[in-house]
Amino acid sequence: MAEKPRLKLPKEAKKGEVVEIKTLLPHIMESGQRKDKDGKAIPRKIINKFVCEFNGKPVFTANLEPAIAANPYMQFHAKVEESGTFKFTWTDDDGTITTAEESITVS
Amino acid sequence: MRQLSRRDAMALGVVGAAVTFFGPREQASAAAKEAADQITKFTGGKTATSGKVSIELPEIAENGNTVPLSVSVDSPMTADNYVSEVLVVADGNPNPGVATFQFSPLSGKAEASTRMRLATTQNIIAVAKTSKGEFFTNQKLVKVTIGGCGG
Amino acid sequence: MMRGGFLAIGAGLGLCVVGGFVVAGAGAQDKKKEAPLEISGDASVRPWKRYAGWPARDGSKWNTLAQLASPPVPKTPRKLAGAITGDAAKGANLVADRNRGGSCLACHVMGPAGGANLPGNVGPDLSEIGNAGREDEYLFNYVYDPRVYNPETVMPPWGGHGLFDDQEIGDIVAFLKTLKSPAAFKTELDNPDKRPAPVEKRENLDPIENPGMWAVDKAQDLWKQAGVAGKSCQSCHADAKTEFKTWAASMPKWEPRLNKVLGVEEFVTRHAKATTGADWLMETDENRAMSVYLHFLANGAPIHVDTTSAESKAAIERGKALSSRKLGELNFACTDCHGKSANHWIRGQWLGEPKGQYDHFPTWRTSLLAIWDIRQRFQWCQVNIRADELPPDAKEYGDLELYLATQNEGQALSVPGIRH
Repeated sequence: MAEKPRLKLPKEAKKGEVVEIKTLLPHIMESGQRKDKDGKAIPRKIINKFVCEFNGKPVFTANLEPAIAANPYMQFHAKVEESGTFKFTWTDDDGTITTAEESITVS
Repeated sequence: MRQLSRRDAMALGVVGAAVTFFGPREQASAAAKEAADQITKFTGGKTATSGKVSIELPEIAENGNTVPLSVSVDSPMTADNYVSEVLVVADGNPNPGVATFQFSPLSGKAEASTRMRLATTQNIIAVAKTSKGEFFTNQKLVKVTIGGCGG
Repeated sequence: MMRGGFLAIGAGLGLCVVGGFVVAGAGAQDKKKEAPLEISGDASVRPWKRYAGWPARDGSKWNTLAQLASPPVPKTPRKLAGAITGDAAKGANLVADRNRGGSCLACHVMGPAGGANLPGNVGPDLSEIGNAGREDEYLFNYVYDPRVYNPETVMPPWGGHGLFDDQEIGDIVAFLKTLKSPAAFKTELDNPDKRPAPVEKRENLDPIENPGMWAVDKAQDLWKQAGVAGKSCQSCHADAKTEFKTWAASMPKWEPRLNKVLGVEEFVTRHAKATTGADWLMETDENRAMSVYLHFLANGAPIHVDTTSAESKAAIERGKALSSRKLGELNFACTDCHGKSANHWIRGQWLGEPKGQYDHFPTWRTSLLAIWDIRQRFQWCQVNIRADELPPDAKEYGDLELYLATQNEGQALSVPGIRH
């Protein structure tokens, strides 16, 4: 599992409110363009997919290319109609999955 | 988080040095062509209308390693009319693809922000697809700063 | 010594016995205990080796902050035999060549050179110099060594320091003579006189905005890490938040036991070694994290260093003198860029004034994905102007840092910063 993701979202919201969510995952996002000291290309290794679900339903998905900067940062929104849990999933090229969860109370 | 040597960072994100890194004009237009191809693939050949898409970018990026990007599409985001997908390409990068964002009515807003790596001054092009099968587009130029003396 | 006072302090803070040191009250005039410091040895790697990714140029022929080596300033312009000839097209490339230490476009707008792509404005706009009626020999000598015409110049002696040879300067002169109309900028942003000064607006203390905030987390772990003696920072400094509320804002400081100015990073190295036994040399990740954390704990506190003691005053005078010493092949003093040329552009980079350039160190650097402390920043400035850097714990850096701190008197700390 990679380093700890950072999340920023409200703990509470009103029914029907559109909340803002910010996420950051420490990750080098090796583009595949760099060369090592012997001139050999360092293989690509990036987070290629980020998914945010709420109570199991997809809210926002991003398919990422090497042009996304290191420590991938995503900011997006979600419309909440009920209390529940956000689940965030990052997928690495090498198959490693990193997840995080955060609940929200909706009244 | 490990530290990068300066040379590593320069190759990762290309700090200025646009001309020497990308050399002849052919490479620049190859990137632009690749970007156009990705857009055609995304729209299935349909024409994208200019409008509804806003792109927020700094006019000058202090370096190409981390350039903030915000894309938002004017849409009601209701079940019968929402933005399903947004493609973002950078027409001057060796690999022009930046990201594809997928939304649903649960997104509330068709808006996403992230940070990009840009090799040189170039256009960022966003194409939005709606649930009705329409395509909208916009683009913006961002100048990647040329360093003074490498500082 | 006021016995009553000592006992009160002793009782309040507790006496720590660590690694054989009894941390007792200091002299009569000190209310605080003197912090244990490892006095022997260096606080950074020896021999100091330049970072692998940095330009490997040898700067031994040029001034550094520790040695004078640059050739003397010529007193008169050169008298050249024969006409000055050159290829204007070659000259056009040379003035835009960033591998030659700038070159000219770093400071001058020069008509179409370099596509008028983000030229600088430290020096005058030369786009119409072809109409200025200057003799070829004058133009040649100005590029060769401008100090013969303007002793106060910040412009490098391109010929005198061997950056361009005579033929290349001839090419540049030929190009200058073609410049007869104002530069055609593609956009207003390319015009340095119209470009708005950059303003740093990022939330540097938001961990989602500033990856540098990792250092605060790491330092909090290091704080509790027991060293060889079985003690951690926590053992003596249980309430870091209160204890260090302003400490970093009072640094750097003259340290009589070492006969030099000590910055936070060197203090961390020597204090950790003398207490917990931890080996946190300067410019290691642990040291950077601790420096970030100690500054972070004092965020908001105004920078205020000692300027009253005789040693401080002397160090500040030395630092001030060092800041105006010309260094390196490019022959720049700190004051050239951050004094005479402050608030101008070198290519696409803004030159700042000293005030505001210290309060955010250590800082996250977005172009390098790394945290830099002030000593590493000093070192890079030197290597950039083609001067040899000193090891991070060089006493000259201490003097310079103390002087820089006085120029930032009153600025509130905000660490870690986030910058290019």
